[in-house]
Amino acid sequence: MEKSHDRAFAAGWPLRRCALAMGLAVSLTTSVAHAQSVDLSKWSTEYIRSIAGTEEVDTAAECSKVVPLDYKGRVSVWWTGPNDASPDISRQVHEQFWAAFKAAYRNIALDYQNIDYNQLIDKLRTATLGNAAPMVVRLQILGSVEFASKGYFMPLKPEDVGYSSADFWPGAMKSVRYQGVSYGIPTNNETMGLIWNADIFNRAGLDPEHPPATWNDVVAYSKQIHDKLGVAGYGLVAKQNAGNTPFRFMPELWAFGGGALDEASDKPTYKKVEIGNDGSKAALQSIYDMYVRDKSAPVSALTNTQDENQNPFIAGRLGMMIAHPAEYAKMVDLASKATGADKAVADQVVRNMRYGLIPKGPVRRAVVFGGSNIHIIKTDYVDGGLDEKAAKALICFWTGPEWSTKLAWVDSNPSNLRGFKTKWMKERLASIKFLDVTTSMLPDGIPFPVIPESTEIMNIIVPDMMQNVLTQKMSVSEAADDAAKKVQGLLDGQ
Amino acid sequence: MSLAIDRKATAPATALQRRRGHILQQIVEHRADYLYILPAMLVMLIVIAYPIYYTIELSFFKTPPNLQMKDKIFVGFANYATILSSASFRETTLNTLIWTLFSTGFAFVLGLAAALALHREFAGRGLLRAILLIPYVVSAVAASYVWKWLYHSDFGVIGALAVQFGITDKPINFLDNTTSVLPSLIVVNVWKEFSFAMVMLTAGLQTVPEQLLRAARVDGASTWQRFWHVTFPHLKGVSMVTVLLLMVANLNAFIIPWIMTGGGPAGASTIWITDIYTIAFGRQRYGVASAYAVILFIVTMVLGYFYVKALTRGSEGRAE
Amino acid sequence: MSDARRRVVRQPFDGWRWAGRLTILFLLVFTVLPMAWMVLTSIKTQFAALQYPPQWWPTEPTLANYWRLINPADSTGREFLRYFANSFFVSLTTTVLGVVVAVPAAYAFSRFRFPGRQMLFFAVLVRNMFPAVVFLMPLFLLMRWLGLVNTHGSLILTYLTFGLPLSIWLLKGFFDNIPVQLEQAARIDGATRFQAFLLIMTPLATPGIIATSIFSFIGAWNEYVYAYTFLSKQDQMTLPVGIQRFFTEFATDWPGLMAATFLMSVPVVVLFLILQTYFVRALTEGAVKH
Repeated sequence: MEKSHDRAFAAGWPLRRCALAMGLAVSLTTSVAHAQSVDLSKWSTEYIRSIAGTEEVDTAAECSKVVPLDYKGRVSVWWTGPNDASPDISRQVHEQFWAAFKAAYRNIALDYQNIDYNQLIDKLRTATLGNAAPMVVRLQILGSVEFASKGYFMPLKPEDVGYSSADFWPGAMKSVRYQGVSYGIPTNNETMGLIWNADIFNRAGLDPEHPPATWNDVVAYSKQIHDKLGVAGYGLVAKQNAGNTPFRFMPELWAFGGGALDEASDKPTYKKVEIGNDGSKAALQSIYDMYVRDKSAPVSALTNTQDENQNPFIAGRLGMMIAHPAEYAKMVDLASKATGADKAVADQVVRNMRYGLIPKGPVRRAVVFGGSNIHIIKTDYVDGGLDEKAAKALICFWTGPEWSTKLAWVDSNPSNLRGFKTKWMKERLASIKFLDVTTSMLPDGIPFPVIPESTEIMNIIVPDMMQNVLTQKMSVSEAADDAAKKVQGLLDGQ
Repeated sequence: MSLAIDRKATAPATALQRRRGHILQQIVEHRADYLYILPAMLVMLIVIAYPIYYTIELSFFKTPPNLQMKDKIFVGFANYATILSSASFRETTLNTLIWTLFSTGFAFVLGLAAALALHREFAGRGLLRAILLIPYVVSAVAASYVWKWLYHSDFGVIGALAVQFGITDKPINFLDNTTSVLPSLIVVNVWKEFSFAMVMLTAGLQTVPEQLLRAARVDGASTWQRFWHVTFPHLKGVSMVTVLLLMVANLNAFIIPWIMTGGGPAGASTIWITDIYTIAFGRQRYGVASAYAVILFIVTMVLGYFYVKALTRGSEGRAE
Repeated sequence: MSDARRRVVRQPFDGWRWAGRLTILFLLVFTVLPMAWMVLTSIKTQFAALQYPPQWWPTEPTLANYWRLINPADSTGREFLRYFANSFFVSLTTTVLGVVVAVPAAYAFSRFRFPGRQMLFFAVLVRNMFPAVVFLMPLFLLMRWLGLVNTHGSLILTYLTFGLPLSIWLLKGFFDNIPVQLEQAARIDGATRFQAFLLIMTPLATPGIIATSIFSFIGAWNEYVYAYTFLSKQDQMTLPVGIQRFFTEFATDWPGLMAATFLMSVPVVVLFLILQTYFVRALTEGAVKH
């Protein structure tokens, strides 16, 4: 756990600030009991359960200290919320949120827009270009740095809305800093886990209650499932231009000791290219073995997004896959709505779903630190100008322990560590199976490199590299070196 | 009818002669004419001139991801050089050629076959026509998702049917290998657009004069001869325009390849337009993407010019 | 009437009738298979839709997916109906304005001899030659400048230019086929050029106007890329953008999407069905006249 602290606090800062970072990290670690409400060094399933329900929260009262409750103004916000394919409780919780905010701040006019995950960033790009952006935007973690680097965001940190930086996940705080300045506040964080079908494991002669422990085991399990049962083992995802792909491959890359840049190291500089190193090549070799040599991954991996793994999983034709907690929730929700003959099949699937830790590699266990951050956009780019106080009021509500927890009900975790102490956390732990699995992996989370070129590296260069290997267009070595050349070119400003 | 053709044939020549005269005088003389085209020109000007200007201008600049658009850097023709010399450009160009030529060709041939086969009136013809028009009318996004599912390498319906009928023992790999992905996408594209050609050619078939066909029949011409010597020449004009419109549409056909494969696997289904989109919105290189778009535009213009030339020459010939 | 039918029956493909029938059969299967699958999926429950081997006919067919979409009491239904209304408004306005703009222009290109005629005609065609996708950003900036962002006006203006080239070309063809004597007769009777155009020529070009209206309407109805860029307010969205919401990062509602797509396609198919018989008949009569 110590390691993750150092890595977390020092990461993202330029080399010359390392000394300062070290000093700060040391002082923060020692004073953690005071500044931080939750003791990350004790993080475990038991600890999580023990602190849940130990703190009462009155969001309106807390936020009234930042912006008075009778403040008159307006606020506009874009975010990705639930749609009608999401579980009902997601929708309900969001409606409650808006109702609560309106009740607390009666004189702030609210304009909120729920925009699809795949479209939000593009829309924000065009909007900022045309000075038609909203005041507040909640973006997924990979998307923020581009706008911060272009100077669209107002500097913002938890202290600005009455919270403490120490009360947020260190990895998350890393993701909102650009060149030493904080431009946002994390709202929720999550990691993915491994879902597997216990029945398939059982029939293939594998232990149904435990996931493969290492990535090498994944390859072996996958082969066994395919050879014995004729169905696909591991749900590999390798589509180009798709965000799912890096979220599932990078953990493997990091586990073997590779990486895009040095984002997995204790003190990343984001200047060293690691995608061509031996660890990366080992990871590539691993997927090559599964897809080409053993043919134990779905043939459609090259054009699949994670959505397309859900069908076969539900139909019992896929052994295991890396999945976001929301997918698990969705499948449970789907099953609960099945009727008649379908109900038997559905219940069987749910009974056999297991959720566990992502496998380890020779170097580490790693998972992508996912989540969202909320930002304020500078007034020049906002449609109608910025109402800073109203924006802060909204953000105070959104990132407080109560709503940080509730809004993340089905598929995520609060970024605000105090959220883990609320009674709602207790309720979630009781009602959502396997929540403690994804929660316990949060300290293993590594965020993507916090540079504006990150989206290109993750969504284009990495999948291209994978596809070059899987279609055998290039050998493992060639593909890795080719990717390394491209990443270096990016850093050199090409 | 013949009068209109005569006028069309002689018009360009006369207009040319007049242009050599006093052009300003001509414009003033015809000022009332311009009023008729004014609304159209106004709309086109606003909504086309500015974006074209913007794109051409942007093609000479570089837009790094960490700078705002207003801080872009001037680089002259560097973007053009980057594109034309890049290793993947050759493969993408080849893909684009295959995609465009085969989609257009098959769509046209199928459309012609359908127009001919449905030319004779019979009960239910209207319904048949309407059914065949459904792919054209359905949104490309929906069509892409449905076909993607049909083609799916592990769970596709087509594969399942093949297995059930014993044709193969495991599902067919349409989209997940570099050889069959482009042909598979072309099938979807043809599915979507052949009825457009059918409609255009149906209208064209209406202009084939009955008397000529009857005369040819009386003279003992075979079906094929009647088609080739009477029907087809009258279809030349419509065919040209249909092929031109199809080619332009296919060069710019974005939705089907993008949604079904995203340009993969390993670039095997990347065509110019998907490449442009990736460069612009995936890599944020708006300058390079603009240069790319200008190249695509020039190619399309050249194509269009040749067709328009052939079209005017064709109609002059017809007047003979 | 019997004369015409006899004439129509003796078409050039007598010996090739079987080839024709085979072609139709092939095209029917080719066309219908994906559509049939779409409809079959839309009457399944979500769980059933994801089964493999696929259920050819659902064990428990349900119209719930459709009902949900058109039921104003359901939140999904309310939204879908709103998307429907928005699409209808945008497409209809685009079509009407398109006709108003294209008909005079086509007439001018057909009848008048003014300088720059050929060049301008070509310029009209040019619009389709520029990759629309690249225009996204400059057009957004333009709409912003005109104050049209998040309004249907931005879409109507954009779609107008998509449809104009084809409309003008088609209508010019129609005008070319109408003999000049009709206008000349009207002018002799004392009508102005404009009156002749409006009262005589335009009605005669009705089939062409209908044809271009259909193309315009469909193009606007199905357009996706610009709609999602220019509109971010949910209550403004048109159908293609709205039904995208059935696909999210983690939750794909296939039956819902298929049902929505079906409902989305119904108006345009019906439109085609009704109007295509009318305009082909009108075309036939036009050809027979000569």
